[in-house]
Amino acid sequence: MEFTALFLAVTIVMVAAWWGTRTVALALFAATLLACIATYLHHASDALQLSF
Amino acid sequence: MTRSLALALNALGLYAIALVLLVAFAAQLLLHELPCPLCLLQRIQFAMLAVGPILNVRFGLRPSHYAVSLLTAATGAAFAARQILLHVMPGDPGYGSALLGYHYYTWAFIGFAVAIIALAIMLLFNSQFRDDGKPQPVGALAGTAVGLVIALTALNVISTLLECGFGACPDNPVAYELLKRGP
Repeated sequence: MEFTALFLAVTIVMVAAWWGTRTVALALFAATLLACIATYLHHASDALQLSF
Repeated sequence: MTRSLALALNALGLYAIALVLLVAFAAQLLLHELPCPLCLLQRIQFAMLAVGPILNVRFGLRPSHYAVSLLTAATGAAFAARQILLHVMPGDPGYGSALLGYHYYTWAFIGFAVAIIALAIMLLFNSQFRDDGKPQPVGALAGTAVGLVIALTALNVISTLLECGFGACPDNPVAYELLKRGP
């Protein structure tokens, strides 16, 4: 469900960038990027089996 | 670099993003390979790459618009690198099938790296940012590209809703949750 919401958010950012104001588009972009990073951190919980 | 050339390159960038989203859809629909959560995050980052060029076409060329795409490309590269590292151990077959010898997440990493380099090269040309006061009309090439990218991203909303349903998306999806028939 969160990925559907993120795709919807990106669509809204694009629509805002094309038809809305620049400030609103940039604010929505920042919020969406942070939401993507938060979703990634929530899912990336498995330890990597690596040794350097 | 003139403003018109830079705007044309931004429009071409939008077509390149549309092509990436189309190829991802083709793999999903024709090869029946459903994207995993990490794959979806990378696809989202590819779509978000388009925000910078859309702003450039709509509001004029600004370094901050390129920065929007640079931040997105760096985030996408980090997501793809994580998936590469998950499957880098010897004997690990990787996730999904390979295309021309590389898995999709490896291609995604290459794509984001190319985007970072292309954006850095675009930022080298200061002449594109000189505003001559004349409004730059949006051409059909750029307008079509914007419409195409928005439409493909909106289609991803529907496809992800079908795949994941209203719950958490499975780690290794094999069927569309909303298209499953009940017992």
